[in-house]
Amino acid sequence: MVKKKNPLYRRLPRELRSELGKYLVIFLLLTGSIGFVSGFLVADGSILAAYEESFEKYNIEDGNFRLSEKMNRAQQSSIEDFGVTLYDNFYATENLTNGSRLRIFQDRSEVNRVCLMEGRLPETADEIAIDRMYADNHALSVGDTLQSESRSFTISGLVALPDYSCLFEDNGDSMFDALQFGVAVMSAEGFSTFRNAELTWSYSWKYDADIAPADEDAEQEISEELMKVMLSEVTLEAFVPRYLNQAIMFTGDDFSSDKAMMTALLYMVMAIMAFVFAITTGATIAKEANVIGVLRASGYTRGELIRHYMTMPMLVTLAGMLVGNLLGYTIFKDLCAGMYYGSYSLPTYETRWNAEAFLLTTLAPGVLMLLINFVLLRRALGLSPLKFLRRDLSRKGRSRALPLHGRIPFFTRFRLRIIFQNAGSYAILFVGVLFANLLLMFGLIFPSVLNHYQETLTDNLLCNYQYILQIPLSAMNEERKLESLLSMLLFSLDAQTENEDAEAFTAYSLVTLEDEYKSEEILLYGVAADSRYIDADFSEEQIYISQAYAEKFGTQPGDTITLKEEYEDELYEFTVSGVYPYEGALALFMEQDYLNAYFDLGNDYFSGYFSDTEITDLDEQYLSSVIDLDALTKISRQLNISMGTMMYMVDAFSVVMFLVLIYLLSKTIIEKNAQSISMTKILGYTPGEIGRLYILSTTLVVVLCLLATLPLETWIMYWLFRAVMLTSISGWIPFYMDPRIYVQMFALGIAAYALVALLELRKIRRIPMDEALKNVE
Amino acid sequence: MFLEIQEIRKSFGSGENRTEVLKGVSLAVEKGEFCVLLGPPGSGKSTLLNIIGGIDAADSGEIAIAGEHMSGMKERRLTDYRRRHLGYVFQMYNLIPNLTVQENIEVGAYLGEDPLDVDELLHTLGLYEHQKKIPGQLSGGQQQRTAIGRAVVKKPDILLCDEPTGALDYQTSREILKLIETVSRRYGSTVLMVTHNDAIQRMADRVVRLRDGQIRDNRLNERRVPAEELEW
Repeated sequence: MVKKKNPLYRRLPRELRSELGKYLVIFLLLTGSIGFVSGFLVADGSILAAYEESFEKYNIEDGNFRLSEKMNRAQQSSIEDFGVTLYDNFYATENLTNGSRLRIFQDRSEVNRVCLMEGRLPETADEIAIDRMYADNHALSVGDTLQSESRSFTISGLVALPDYSCLFEDNGDSMFDALQFGVAVMSAEGFSTFRNAELTWSYSWKYDADIAPADEDAEQEISEELMKVMLSEVTLEAFVPRYLNQAIMFTGDDFSSDKAMMTALLYMVMAIMAFVFAITTGATIAKEANVIGVLRASGYTRGELIRHYMTMPMLVTLAGMLVGNLLGYTIFKDLCAGMYYGSYSLPTYETRWNAEAFLLTTLAPGVLMLLINFVLLRRALGLSPLKFLRRDLSRKGRSRALPLHGRIPFFTRFRLRIIFQNAGSYAILFVGVLFANLLLMFGLIFPSVLNHYQETLTDNLLCNYQYILQIPLSAMNEERKLESLLSMLLFSLDAQTENEDAEAFTAYSLVTLEDEYKSEEILLYGVAADSRYIDADFSEEQIYISQAYAEKFGTQPGDTITLKEEYEDELYEFTVSGVYPYEGALALFMEQDYLNAYFDLGNDYFSGYFSDTEITDLDEQYLSSVIDLDALTKISRQLNISMGTMMYMVDAFSVVMFLVLIYLLSKTIIEKNAQSISMTKILGYTPGEIGRLYILSTTLVVVLCLLATLPLETWIMYWLFRAVMLTSISGWIPFYMDPRIYVQMFALGIAAYALVALLELRKIRRIPMDEALKNVE
Repeated sequence: MFLEIQEIRKSFGSGENRTEVLKGVSLAVEKGEFCVLLGPPGSGKSTLLNIIGGIDAADSGEIAIAGEHMSGMKERRLTDYRRRHLGYVFQMYNLIPNLTVQENIEVGAYLGEDPLDVDELLHTLGLYEHQKKIPGQLSGGQQQRTAIGRAVVKKPDILLCDEPTGALDYQTSREILKLIETVSRRYGSTVLMVTHNDAIQRMADRVVRLRDGQIRDNRLNERRVPAEELEW
């Protein structure tokens, strides 16, 4: 027997025409969300693949170290005997007239090979190829000239250095800074113009194939062994194995966390849209109850009707998926790749078909949509044919009116009844508003948190300049006590200053234990007992944690904290006496003598200066870093650059989502009540009065939703923000809720709603009076 | 005359499909009169009622209530016209499903400048004990009583009833007709009732017969009987 085609499907084109507005906005929202997430995942996948391949393609180093002077052949050969090959990776640092620092390498041919993005590699002595992102941030292009105090460079090309996919100037920095720091390469001829005194003696190493570590644990183990070997040969100023090198690894870590966030976002949108579909379809079922009753009575099965009512939502979803993926692979992919290229100095990539992206953005949400619709439709169509014929769609027998006191004004009672009638729609609206506003809050809070952080830092700086001195590693070599003592003595004499504002302190670095979150560097300040800069009572070995520490780890006075040396197992315990109001670093403050004694550093040991005025008479070679406001706000500046554009997109998306949701749900409510509205028109109610009854109810709910979700959103945002700060960023940026954000969110919500309300008012005006004359009771 | 209808014409469709439903209908009804419009299906009686009610527009002709002419009225004035002059009762009760009986009547009361007392009306309608129920909990007769309450509570000049007993059984129909008779007498409303039930003409002051879009008979009923005496 030939299976006949269900004639009900002939309704579908008509249904599409008559409900074009509804299906169009859902289609656009789905297409936009799927397109963006698909584009994001494709870009993420393609760039991640390019990034991962870059390790081999560009032969990225296994680690690097820095010496105070050039290594001799014997030292090099001794170290290489360990099973590594060493490569010169010297660089010069030029302070440019544009206020930034450029780290210039010689073009590399063996390790960390350069990826040319635009133009050509430098050939003549005055040519330079600069990092592509640094060029973007300073609006530089090929042919432009860069100027330092003594040199002038012509840009011959834009490049990506694979060992600087993320522009961390110093591995200890909590954030990279692509605005004030850049990398570049010059030809051998050009690079040879730098004098030895201008060079930093940096070397890269690659493990020989037979000892190459298989995983991070092995890498840690072998790098610790290598460091011991190096320490016996040379004086190390820095030692950074690849797995700890933020300039190389940060980018890859960031990719995976972004992916999880975007996918979660898409599922939320899809689930909300599925419920919106179900509610609008539910309204159609209510409208067509008699017809459904007749069809069911005539022998149509529930399954046939479920399939029929599911067809349009699924077709629209399917269309959204197709077009979304198409846009994802074209427009959105470039947009998202642009976002990554705006933050990272990545090599070129090729777009790759991403099966996982297809699964995550198409199959999984499609199934989600199918399931939610199926379950809700199955329930809605589960009533007996007789109930449909009688238009009695309640499950629990006949529904009753909720008692409302007669003293409540009539219009108010009317509106309350509408609210009760549409409780399901309003519940979805609540969830949707919560979600859309959470996104909006995220978009708005981000710049505000960063600004607040900068302001807070300015207000509670320890001093205007903190000079961290570079203690020669030779002074710390326990295996050669005498040499180290001499080295320390020499350093103490050389690192004196005449500046009267200067106050010596001891800085000591430990790290947190790696448990729930990644290990973080903690700076221990040993402060003079009568310090001019740190106002705290250090008597009786009192120890204070910085405000940032207290907030990040939830530590309180009285708690005991455990820290350890970075590459050693020895643990140190400190009992916290109080919290010092300093947001600039995860730090501990204690008396200098106590710290020196605790770590056996010697009575006169110091390793830094606090000063309110600039210290100009320090020997550069002993200067490790200067912590001033500029350095402390690096993290917020970079986050602003990396995330700023994205935040505007998040804001826009959340407003669109909010608009679509309100439009669809209020449209459903108006349609559900079309007959009553028509009747009130016949009775003589004006459109304005009808609007006050039917639209004002939704207005009340929207206002309530907007207000009621605010505390919930703040709470969720606080925890989300904390989780992001704990897992993805070294250091700490405190959560701050600017009260103006509440006002902005409410105003945006109301403005968006006003637009929808106008559309609905127009819809009410268009409901014909003969609607009430249809025999549908 | 209180209600004057002159040369009303109305057609639907266009070209070859054009059907003239009303072919120049003229009628005059006195204030407080109970007028029954009789006719077979398709005779144009409901269309005439809708045009009088201002929810449909005539192609030509003129309608005036207490001297106020309807022709040329824009939507806003038509709304005002319905608000001030008319009450409507349909075959299908068209109650607002999520409002209680009392609230449905209040929907009408809101529109009147000096509406009837809702509680008193509920007693008159025999709905006092059902006032907190929603339409879904009521029988057809109770729903139609509510619809009548909603229509008369604002004391309309004219009560328009389109087959008000069309969906009801015999006994309930008589009760409803009696109710319409009672409230129109008590509150002085002019009643225009469309029906295809010949028996109902006996309770009317005026009987108008329509067929094929034209008035075939328009006469005053000399021997009116109360609604409860009607039989069919």
